[in-house]
Amino acid sequence: MKFYKDHYDVIVIGGALAGLSAALMLADKGKDVLVLERHNLPGGLATSFVRGGVEIEATLHEMMSIGEKENRLKVGKFFDDMGVNVDWLPVPEAYHASLPGVEVTLHPGFERFAKEVDETVPGTYQKVLDLLKLCHTVYDSVNELSIHPMSKAKMLMKHEAFVKTAGYSAKEVIDTFELPQKAVDLLAPYWIYVGNPLTTLPFTIYAVLMADYIGYGSKVPKKLSHEMSLKMAERAEEMGVQIEYRQQVEKILVKDGKAYGVRTARGDEIYADYVISSAYPNKVYSSMIEPASEVPEAAVKAVNGRKISLTAFTVFLLLDKPAEELGIKDFNVFHGETMDTDKIFENYLGTGPYNYLTAICLNYANPGCTPEGTCILSITALPRPDGWKQVKAEDYDRVKHETAKATIDTMSEYYGVNLLDHALEVIIETPMTVSHYTGMWNGCVYGYMHCMDDHIVARLQTAEAEGALKHLEFSGAHSISGNGMGPAVTNGRKAAKNVLDSMAAEEATK
Amino acid sequence: MKIKGFLKDVTGAKRVTAARLDAFAKASSHIEKVDPIAEVVKEWHPGRLEVVVTDVRPASKTAVTVRFERTDGKKMPFFYAGQYLVLDLKIGDAVVSRPYSISSAPCEGRQEPGFAEITVRRSKGDGFVADFINERVRPGDVFTAQVGCGQFYYEPLRDAKHVVALAGGVGITPFAAMAKEVAHGTLDMDLTILYGSVSSDDIVMKEELDAIQSDRVRIVHVLSGDEPGWEGEKGFLTADLIKKYSADDTTYFICGPQAMYTFLREELKKLDIPARRVRFEVFGQAKDITKFPGYPVELKDETFKMTVRRGIHEDVIDAKATESIVTALERAAIRIDTGCRSGECGFCRTKVISGSVYVCPENDGRRAADKDFGYVHACAAYPTSDLTIKIPIE
Repeated sequence: MKFYKDHYDVIVIGGALAGLSAALMLADKGKDVLVLERHNLPGGLATSFVRGGVEIEATLHEMMSIGEKENRLKVGKFFDDMGVNVDWLPVPEAYHASLPGVEVTLHPGFERFAKEVDETVPGTYQKVLDLLKLCHTVYDSVNELSIHPMSKAKMLMKHEAFVKTAGYSAKEVIDTFELPQKAVDLLAPYWIYVGNPLTTLPFTIYAVLMADYIGYGSKVPKKLSHEMSLKMAERAEEMGVQIEYRQQVEKILVKDGKAYGVRTARGDEIYADYVISSAYPNKVYSSMIEPASEVPEAAVKAVNGRKISLTAFTVFLLLDKPAEELGIKDFNVFHGETMDTDKIFENYLGTGPYNYLTAICLNYANPGCTPEGTCILSITALPRPDGWKQVKAEDYDRVKHETAKATIDTMSEYYGVNLLDHALEVIIETPMTVSHYTGMWNGCVYGYMHCMDDHIVARLQTAEAEGALKHLEFSGAHSISGNGMGPAVTNGRKAAKNVLDSMAAEEATK
Repeated sequence: MKIKGFLKDVTGAKRVTAARLDAFAKASSHIEKVDPIAEVVKEWHPGRLEVVVTDVRPASKTAVTVRFERTDGKKMPFFYAGQYLVLDLKIGDAVVSRPYSISSAPCEGRQEPGFAEITVRRSKGDGFVADFINERVRPGDVFTAQVGCGQFYYEPLRDAKHVVALAGGVGITPFAAMAKEVAHGTLDMDLTILYGSVSSDDIVMKEELDAIQSDRVRIVHVLSGDEPGWEGEKGFLTADLIKKYSADDTTYFICGPQAMYTFLREELKKLDIPARRVRFEVFGQAKDITKFPGYPVELKDETFKMTVRRGIHEDVIDAKATESIVTALERAAIRIDTGCRSGECGFCRTKVISGSVYVCPENDGRRAADKDFGYVHACAAYPTSDLTIKIPIE
């Protein structure tokens, strides 16, 4: 029986957001694409699961870079261009910050946000607004430069703020605004969406994050992130992409430094001109390249020179009363024992209890997402893999329950209600869960750390030093734009662009 | 604008680029091959395993207990008491899978040698797999199985310390696993099993269960038939009986035949129990799909043509209106991954490209977006016209 064509232009390993974005863009340019996904549905982490008859969002907190129908941002525009029509619902707030001595709900829109910070920390309005405006200037530059690269001299002229802040951490730039610490704390909670403390997080990344989320607000798909993933997959198939589920790729076939196909766990050998891998470089170079002698030393050094970022620990509580009746008042609460991101980062080395939690009550953005009279609360910490790597199989269930209990207790105390007295379902997602469903290295969801020695600007300029094999591209949280569902789409497009550029270059030399 | 000085500011990009190259240059050339987190996953969810039958013994006059061990000599994966395994069998020309609750305890899977057992009752004519297991399976037979599936287990953060299990017939099996795990000291709850049978002859695993009674595990047999000399509980699992064995805060776990579910739903209503305290095991494949609301009864004798796409390959097979898509595929020896066969687990997620199907309303566990794009869980979907489907390549 023959399940595959003799040859494809491109094989994409992984049918999550990055892989599907790459497939869409390649198909749009008329390329023959095969997507191989290990799970039996698309989306990777952008998915949902059904428990007790209720469909529950698995990971998405809020989607950035979508914008409004008449004013799309980068990702929203790509979806429109590709004909992926997701039913987006607006998220009603930026976040509620619950920090020592501070309880405040902040909303998107620079002026409104700055005003709300000012109400808590008087006299900061103008400085906060100026900082946000700087973020926006950098954000505009990043978006423009990712499409139209230019010379350094020209860059300095046209993108001065971007150039001049590129060498600094978020903390270094924020410090120049001389804001009181309390105000800085209110500007810090989103750090968790990129996962590095402000002391080592490039300001460029911080700026993109703040400009996008605070400037434009965020969205969630009405039928959860599975809607987005499925619509991308369905559209890709409509455009001629072949997607095969339950196909684990075990090997990437390489000859003379060039990838030419894959072998699946079932034993199918499939050939293509290019391979795009959503599997982590750690996984690819440690076990997937065949023959192993084709693994470039430079690639191994690049993997080891980067630092694996955060994984995820989430407790989902399906509760038997509406949110308001349980004292759950916000869509998104960042609840920290501290807002010192270095201290949180340190705490995240372990298996818990965690000192910084994000609690999302999706019903506030998506009222119909659970049955009448119920609500869903997900409580997340994003630990580093280190602590979880020490957990033995026989201790796993105990550790995950202890951490879950501590997590639930913390938020119960915050809301003033024993959440477990109302739990229709309790579901615990750990780094192992991530690993189980997606195969991601160390259960890592954030790729490599966004830090000063793996800066996004440097990633763009030194991609060649990553030593990748010819005709092999990476696309996922581990590639240039890093973690997050918006960046995942950008990463997929970048991989597709690299393939298209390479195809054009080789065509030209023929 | 100025951060630290013009020169330092404009050379920032250069600095971070050098830092990255420097980090690469200083890094080790040795690649780490082991991912400890993936290693834990392998011990909990190793996927399909090859298993060998090491024991077959009667569990009642009409049921057998079959013990499996791994052929690779390893222990069984970790799982929770109450979960099931999916057994793959080749019977005649058909390739079939069936879920069976694991009747042995998780702790027994971690012994040397570790094993998992299922207890299967001979059917009354409608389950050729159950009969095959009762009549044909012998020690030494080799199968593949996926061990530890499903959501029917005690969750300490969610459930009350006191559990009343309501079992009917061979539905005792998940509770046998729980009882053994409690007795072993590795499951912290107080378990009372109300076990309904027609006669004492019908009680499955009786000796085994009676032997593990303790202050934390209590087994109450309830006979619905007249039996001279029976001094235990009689009748059905009524609200009054359930109440008698309940604590103030009790979680109820229910597993048994479909008719029992209908009966118990009404009885439990009388007790005014919060929804979060009641947990039913999945419904099972519908015994007679024509009895469900909205089923197009006029089609019940039809056989349709079903085109099955796997990759670029296509087969055309027969599909009866009264049999699920999974059953049609299994008859035609086309492998499809299945788990619960109750529409819940979604292992058999299938795209209906054209044609129409009826989805069993009791077993519709689909995601909302899947419904919009014609996806079904094939164990709960019945053809109502000629159709084309796409399934994963196995």
